[in-house]
Amino acid sequence: MWENIMTLAELQMDDCATIKEIGNLKPRLLEMGLIPGTPIRFIKKTPFGGPIEVKVRDFYLSIRLDDAKSIIVSR
Amino acid sequence: MKKPLIALIGNPNSGKTAIFNLLTGLSQKVSNYPGITVDRKIGLVNYNKIQFDLLDLPGTYSITPETVDEGIVSEQLLTWIHNPELRPKAIVSVIDASNLSRNLFLTSQISELGIPLIIALNMMDRVREQNNEINIDALKKLFNAVAVVPMSATEKTGINALKNEICKSINTSISINNTSIEIPSEIAEVILPITSVLTSYFNISNQIANSISLRLITRDSALMSYENLDLLSDSQLSKLKKTISECRITLNENGHSSNSIESILRYSWLDAQIHEKLIIANTDVKKKSKSEVTDQIITHPIFGPIIFLGILYFIFQSIFTWASAPMDFIDSTFAVFGDWLVSTLPPGLLRDLLVEGVVAGVGAILIFLPQIIILILFLCLLEDSGYMARVAFMMDNFMRRIGLHGRSVLPLMSGYACAIPGIMAARTIDSWRERLITILVLPLLSCSARLPVYTLLISAFIPSTTVWGIFNLQGLTMVSMYLLGTCTAFVIAKIFTKFIPQKGNSSFVMELPPYRVPMLRSVFNEVYQRAKAFLTDAGKIIMAISIVLWILASFPRMENGESVSIHESYAGRIGHAIEPVIQPLGYDWKIGIGLLTSFAAREVMVSTLATIYNVEQSDDEFVSLKDALKNDKKSDGSPTFTVLVALSLMVFYVYAAQCMATFAVVKNETNSWKWPLLMIVYMSTLAYVGALVVYQGGQFLGFT
Repeated sequence: MWENIMTLAELQMDDCATIKEIGNLKPRLLEMGLIPGTPIRFIKKTPFGGPIEVKVRDFYLSIRLDDAKSIIVSR
Repeated sequence: MKKPLIALIGNPNSGKTAIFNLLTGLSQKVSNYPGITVDRKIGLVNYNKIQFDLLDLPGTYSITPETVDEGIVSEQLLTWIHNPELRPKAIVSVIDASNLSRNLFLTSQISELGIPLIIALNMMDRVREQNNEINIDALKKLFNAVAVVPMSATEKTGINALKNEICKSINTSISINNTSIEIPSEIAEVILPITSVLTSYFNISNQIANSISLRLITRDSALMSYENLDLLSDSQLSKLKKTISECRITLNENGHSSNSIESILRYSWLDAQIHEKLIIANTDVKKKSKSEVTDQIITHPIFGPIIFLGILYFIFQSIFTWASAPMDFIDSTFAVFGDWLVSTLPPGLLRDLLVEGVVAGVGAILIFLPQIIILILFLCLLEDSGYMARVAFMMDNFMRRIGLHGRSVLPLMSGYACAIPGIMAARTIDSWRERLITILVLPLLSCSARLPVYTLLISAFIPSTTVWGIFNLQGLTMVSMYLLGTCTAFVIAKIFTKFIPQKGNSSFVMELPPYRVPMLRSVFNEVYQRAKAFLTDAGKIIMAISIVLWILASFPRMENGESVSIHESYAGRIGHAIEPVIQPLGYDWKIGIGLLTSFAAREVMVSTLATIYNVEQSDDEFVSLKDALKNDKKSDGSPTFTVLVALSLMVFYVYAAQCMATFAVVKNETNSWKWPLLMIVYMSTLAYVGALVVYQGGQFLGFT
């Protein structure tokens, strides 16, 4: 089985993935539970490169695209 | 004897404030934390003959702070750690049970502080809805909590059980033996130097020192709370800093990342415990909640903004239509009351002071209350329902491009009622620069204090004709004033981004909480508190200025005790003195007096004009101010007010920095006089230039 490694920003609507690496992520996102091994689902993006929405643990979260690019996930 | 203290702490959106309201009812005292204008809510609870004070701490995801609000929590907890005599009898950790693991992160931090812990397992209704179950006993054992109380603030269940547990913990002195997360020995070894430094400085247990060390090594902002509280001498602080950076290097050399270590340790431990002890069934991110389905429309790229504009339109429409009846009522009541005082009291100084100073002043304050209440009510409803988070999500991109933040939307909207609550609401913006710019441009949005000025001038000088088939010219002028302020605010924000350097990274991290029906009790409570704050804070200043103005307008007296004409009064002299400066804008000395007194608050302009024209008519009746303005003539016989003067004056009011209360709040919030001064300078320049362009440009084009 091969893993599909990409950044969170590259996921498509409703894609599920697992967080692999968090690079230099904002500490607050870590405190909210985005740590390696956590399942995550991509909900939607906003137009013109605005923030994205994901579901992680039991809540919905919006973060900016730049932060999403520093999260590596595997699908 | 001092009443026992209980503290409430929890994540944002955990229902903490709803529980606080249910426990305390209306016996709440809202004051500010020393030095900053962050609400400090304390409520008195009376239950089964036991009395205790309940402290509501701001919502936070972690003890390590990111915003001003969260700094309060961090500093409060540190104060308790280092001053055991101040500690509360228990901390109630409020948890959204339908979102367990993330909420337990904060709980696990708190459980290591050596203070008895009660877990309020809120939103159990949602857990049942999801056909899930929580193993209460296992949870209690995991944190060695005094009690775990399943409850639901929305269904009002479990409140008495929580009160019982709190009272029990007050009556029995509990020996605390909280658990702590397991720190792997290799990491414990690395943080040992920090722990030793802490235990050598303070009389704290190893467990607490370990817990603090973990935060100190992970984040710089954890140390800031120590600095703010002055708990360490300079030499101690530098030694601690040195130790921390050394430990970080060792940790990173060992293949760990120091800036994620606390979160990774805690969540790994939590996830494992939740799984092993079967506290709750594994969650599945694939599950679609009802809110997610709703959001397919609410945050839709096309429908979302349309819905938002629709809601904005509805809110402003209701403010103007619903508020007019109570405002007319307040207005006429005060007129009748003034007349009654005039006919009852013997003529003299005291009567004049009461009628023209005090009654007019109180009336000027109360008249805004209907509009402020309606706007705050709507904003609270939108916030509590979860909608405002979606607005921030949709607007962040646009706001970021002009130097603001998704979270700036709510403060800016509050600014249409009053800049002061808006400036305070900007505290939730986690980036310093975006928060500062939000605060700086906020007073450009037309607050309700400008409305009476616009209303008076528009109704007196703008004809009520229909233009382009559908628009009423008066309404159109009003909307233009609001748009002028709003658009200028956006432009100025963009300009400020060029001059104000970025401190740290800007970020937008926002939870989109599930939609819920707002709890009316919490909403009304909030509206009541804010309206009260407006009446007392702004009211005091407006009242004082109203009396000072009356004195300026009525003195000096002639030798026989009669008042002189307003021309020769102190107010008149000041007005005459500044006339050369404001003449290019089309204003005479009477308007000059109004501009000066507006420095207390803008709406004072209307009562000033009312006072001036009342005093000038020097009969004992309230005349219609509108007619007085229309009929007023300059010494050369030409009218004082023309359409052009009215427009120039309105533009001046859109821009001018005229609210002392706002500057005081900005000084508090930014901790410096630099920013309020900048605000006064840039806004005054805009006002003068704007009004000049309107008046001189208008005359050049041949308007009058």
